[in-house]
Amino acid sequence: MPDDGRDQIPPALARAVELLREEEVASPAWRAAVLGAVEQGSGSRDADLRPRRFVALRTAIAAGIVCVAAGSAATFAVLRRPGPIETVATAPHNAAQASTLLPVHFSVVAPSAASVSIVGDFNHWSPTALPMKRSADGRTWEIDVKLPEGRYNYAYMVDGQIARDPSAPQTGGDDFGMPNSVLMVRGT
Amino acid sequence: MTRPVTLHVLQGYHSPEMTDAACVQAALAGDGAAFTMLVDRHSPACLRFARRMLGSREDAEDAAQEAFVRAHRALARYDGRTSFRTWLMSILVNRCRTALLQRHRRTKRLVLDEAVLDQAAAVGGDGSDLELRDAIERALAQLEPGQREAFLLKHVEQLTYEEMAEATGAGVSALKMRVQRACDRLQILLKEDRYA
Repeated sequence: MPDDGRDQIPPALARAVELLREEEVASPAWRAAVLGAVEQGSGSRDADLRPRRFVALRTAIAAGIVCVAAGSAATFAVLRRPGPIETVATAPHNAAQASTLLPVHFSVVAPSAASVSIVGDFNHWSPTALPMKRSADGRTWEIDVKLPEGRYNYAYMVDGQIARDPSAPQTGGDDFGMPNSVLMVRGT
Repeated sequence: MTRPVTLHVLQGYHSPEMTDAACVQAALAGDGAAFTMLVDRHSPACLRFARRMLGSREDAEDAAQEAFVRAHRALARYDGRTSFRTWLMSILVNRCRTALLQRHRRTKRLVLDEAVLDQAAAVGGDGSDLELRDAIERALAQLEPGQREAFLLKHVEQLTYEEMAEATGAGVSALKMRVQRACDRLQILLKEDRYA
């Protein structure tokens, strides 16, 4: 399809567009960083791009709290689906008794990821505030956080990419076509 | 008597005329230098788009780096249906959208870093160009991201609408409308800034 007359740059913008077309020069340090990052990831071409899987945290926590109240064990993994990445939320025995902060354990199986963090309303969506640590099995990324009761939009940063649970029972606002998930933390 | 001649193939050397498609094939065969050539060839445009899109050199470098890393990982999926540049730009567009999403959540505003003016001074030009560059950067930052993205791809990166559709996932008609509205808005903003 040929471009029509609307493709012409308005004369009033012509000089400004010329200035915008000036190229950005790549610094040697940036170039080295790019090539280093490419080299580092060369062993995982495409293997890292497998579909991700999460477990619905809200349901997991709710189930955990219910079972704690019944005197059962405190760790639960629910809504599992097949796939390379899974999330497990656990609530400790005293979760129901916590008055202000409820400890929540996040566990993400992402064997080929180089970095994973959790971002959400609770940390102002900072990708560096809550980095997850790779566990001894080399496949799982974990972190313990304490959250007040409430409703939180959240997501994961997996190698710099925001990822959410596609089957989460609730999703939050949709920004640039990338909706996030919603976590409900309740004491009882 | 003719002396025997031994030809030595320089490992990792590629002719500057090597096409993007040939570089991709070589890179897929394990030739790291071929991908380096792609990085060198497309870095300036990628950094330019990301800088204009994000308004920050640091954010632009992060987005462009991530785009190259992801392109390398997904290289086997590049089918040659579009140009490598368009394919790479589609990855970069997504990285910039993600960066804007993160920034939107953190700060709810665009930040133009001081390096914009620093670089403007470094590349030369008279005083009016410096002021105009500053004005157009500020005007771009005030555009709705979709309009800014379409304007930059069309008039700065000079992609065709079909290439833009490949890179953004939007339809041609919608992209034309965004470019038109971006041009209208930029003229108004520059006029308010007394540059149009």
